[in-house]
Amino acid sequence: MRFLALLRKELRESLPWLLLAGLLLLAVGLLTLRAHAQAPEGRYWQYRQGMAPGETVTEWRLLQPAKLELPGLWLTFIGPGLGLILAVRQFWFPLFTGTWAFLLHRSALRSTILWAKLAATGVMFLVVGLLWTGLYGYASRPALFPIPESPQMLLNGWIYIALGFAIYLGTVLSALSEARWYTTRIFGLAFALLVALIVAGQCHIIWIVATMIVALAILLTQTLAAFLKREF
Amino acid sequence: MSEIVLETKSLTKYYGARPALDHLDLRIPRGCICGFLGRNGAGKTTAIKMMLGLLEPTAGSATLLGCDATALTPAIRQRIGYVTEGHRLFRWMTIGRLEKFQQAFFPDQWDAKFFADMIEYFELSKKQKIKHLSNGQRAQVSLALALAPNPELLIMDDPTLGLDAVIRRQFLEGMIELITRQGRTVLFSSHILADVERVADRIVVVDKGVLRADCSLEQFRASVRKVVLYFDDSVPAEVELEGLLHCRRSERQLELTLVGVGEAEVAAWARQAGTERLDFVEMNLEDQFIEFTAPPHRRRLFQWEEAQS
Repeated sequence: MRFLALLRKELRESLPWLLLAGLLLLAVGLLTLRAHAQAPEGRYWQYRQGMAPGETVTEWRLLQPAKLELPGLWLTFIGPGLGLILAVRQFWFPLFTGTWAFLLHRSALRSTILWAKLAATGVMFLVVGLLWTGLYGYASRPALFPIPESPQMLLNGWIYIALGFAIYLGTVLSALSEARWYTTRIFGLAFALLVALIVAGQCHIIWIVATMIVALAILLTQTLAAFLKREF
Repeated sequence: MSEIVLETKSLTKYYGARPALDHLDLRIPRGCICGFLGRNGAGKTTAIKMMLGLLEPTAGSATLLGCDATALTPAIRQRIGYVTEGHRLFRWMTIGRLEKFQQAFFPDQWDAKFFADMIEYFELSKKQKIKHLSNGQRAQVSLALALAPNPELLIMDDPTLGLDAVIRRQFLEGMIELITRQGRTVLFSSHILADVERVADRIVVVDKGVLRADCSLEQFRASVRKVVLYFDDSVPAEVELEGLLHCRRSERQLELTLVGVGEAEVAAWARQAGTERLDFVEMNLEDQFIEFTAPPHRRRLFQWEEAQS
């Protein structure tokens, strides 16, 4: 009951940012897909017209320009951007509004308060991920495009969303730090950005997933430790 | 001996090399209404935050309802009401939503009728958003939220700061509502001495992080006194009285503020200094507090004024 009350509060406080991110993703996604669908002179159709009779299209998806390329590019900003904003909203903003004291004197463990915030953020990213999956499903409809969208595109989107969570945790660490920005305070955010760069530079999915798991584990344990001992 | 509800032992907090609170020792028994006084920056909020486990003490400890402040369990927090400084609540919530939020943390002890009555008494509506409330109205909501679970211990950090006289009176009446319940303990910091005088039965004074007084209100009222001595010639250069807080001189008058010095003792010293003409000046609690905590360099300002005249 306590956790749910905290979770509801966090979800409600973060909702406007989710709406903004979701609308942005949907708008870019749907407009891009519509443009693709209505442009028979585009590269996709040119490929198709060049096919020999009887030629199969099984491998074509490796050649065709991804229809979700533009929304995917936007997702690289939407995911980390949402993470940054949610961390600031949940952990930094209350330092200025002075609501930490009221929140922390609830009859709940400090860790419960933190988990409620993390769970709310998880829900936010899950919704963005589902929107992305929905876009992928829409882009893969045979009625719209004869060739389905590459599953790699779907996976890439989810990786960018997970990167958003890493940026969120890194920003939380920096927000919780009481040191100066030009000293250790920047470390959390810098570490998350480094992870983003490493992930962007990887080409094999196993290494990407491994990097993400290790990075998220490090950031999560550090966030827990920092929040439990932080003075407010 | 009555049960100690709140106890601090050498509670100390340093920010860098600067002490915000220095070895605070307190023992607040059950049923006590304790006014926690001090000037701005005296260490009151720091002490309260350490008592509630929001700040880590540099040294010493605080115990609330038998539990160490650094490890307050949810069950113990449930028994403690806390009104934060400035009444910082979630601005986007309505009063009704805030009630539901608060209620979730007091599942068995939330008094919905009491909360509704208080909101009605303060002429508020549950549909009002916190961000649309005045400072005074937010204070009233804070108090109602803190009192509705019927806490055993209520800690309030400068709850009447910035409130007008009417709201302050309503706030205090709400507080008295709790006090009238059997065995409830209240610790509240304040700058408004009239409020303290109205409800507190004990006062604790901190100054620059150091405990200066911890006694009953009556004791404090009787201890801090001002006396004016009249001399035919010049006033004595030295005043050797233990308990002297301030000494102000004019050409033929000596105004002394004393703490814990009896009338007979003052009269004896006056005779020794060459006068028998002296008046004890009536002081209200605010004057006593100001004299008790005013920095000694006020005297220099007084001398400067003399030099100007």
